[in-house]
Amino acid sequence: MTAEDVTACYVYGVVPDDRTDDAVIEDLRPVGNPEARVGFVRHGGLAALVSEVPTGKAIGTPEDLRSHAQVLDAMAAAESPVLPFRFGTVLRDTDSVVEELLTEGREDFSLALERLENKAQFTLRAQYVQDAVLREVLEEHEEVRRLREELADVPEPAGYEQRVRLGELIVNAIEAKRQTDFQEVEQRLEPLAHAMISAEPAAAEGLVTASFLLEHGQLEAFEEAVEELAEQWRERVELRLLGPMAPYDFVSDALSADKEAAATAGEGGG
Amino acid sequence: MTVASQQGGGALSRPNASSLADVVGVILDKGLVVDAYVRVSLVGIELLTVDARVVIASVDTYLRFAEAANRLDIARSGTETKGLPDLMNQMQEGGGRRKTRGALEGVKDTVSDLLQGGEEDEYEEEAAEEEEEAPRRRKKSRERD
Repeated sequence: MTAEDVTACYVYGVVPDDRTDDAVIEDLRPVGNPEARVGFVRHGGLAALVSEVPTGKAIGTPEDLRSHAQVLDAMAAAESPVLPFRFGTVLRDTDSVVEELLTEGREDFSLALERLENKAQFTLRAQYVQDAVLREVLEEHEEVRRLREELADVPEPAGYEQRVRLGELIVNAIEAKRQTDFQEVEQRLEPLAHAMISAEPAAAEGLVTASFLLEHGQLEAFEEAVEELAEQWRERVELRLLGPMAPYDFVSDALSADKEAAATAGEGGG
Repeated sequence: MTVASQQGGGALSRPNASSLADVVGVILDKGLVVDAYVRVSLVGIELLTVDARVVIASVDTYLRFAEAANRLDIARSGTETKGLPDLMNQMQEGGGRRKTRGALEGVKDTVSDLLQGGEEDEYEEEAAEEEEEAPRRRKKSRERD
């Protein structure tokens, strides 16, 4: 058995060849195999970010997830456009990276990279401070106050249905707040970004997780606006801004939009 | 490298290192998918595509919020609920022990960090408590039967 039989090629993403600086990635921990090294496989103006990975061992530890993101985000931080691949993309070897990935995808990848040139993703995670939002709900909703008073003297096993009802009213009241507050986020921040994508929060305390594609020149004004929002909502909403990172939420659009544009151009349309 | 303005006592948090929860939220199920026929399949990847979303409109969530509202230390209920002063007393009492347990807690933090990542721990723990209570209630009713 040779080494090729037990290792494969983990692919993080694709960057333009002229932006490949080994110093940016060579010291980062690779996915799956700490002894391997992250490097570039170059072909036709493109470069894939890769490292060797053992095929017999499961990958997907928290460290592996972090490594995947760190490699891609390091490129974004170095202001290189980057096309992030989904976690767990593994090809047979570097030859197949060249032949099946970079050669096949050359045109699409190049167009998408052009589109993402000079841009990086920033993700805003907003979450309500539980006590603060509960106080607001109690102040604003008489029925919630009344139910809470009633339940205050009822020992735990009893009043189950009222408890569920109280919780439901609170969760619904927070949902209404979320809609209002989300609009505020959208109105203030979307105009300052190249693009915005938002996701429903995964927890009842969540306000929003929104990703923004920012041009490098937009960052300062954007950050100021987020700071302002954080200041205005101090004590009631926790805001965290992550980035610069690879455009995880925008890469599919960048690729498909190029295809659409190419198709339209082919038809002779604008 | 673009170094954004760091936390200067501002209300906005700009973490330098993302928590695991952040990383998972940011990268999972995102990114370009390469055609299956050129990919090598590895063990374990499938597990990661499990939908980790929590259903917000659930009885568990409702009960958690009802409990939180009851615990809430508003002016009216300052004495009957465990407010901040109580908690601080407990922390001071436990202060001596805390130091000696420091190393052990460090380990626990790392493990729970590995499992679910930083700031979500509190919610997970609360949810786990609720889950523990529910079967107990059921057992009681079975005994009555």
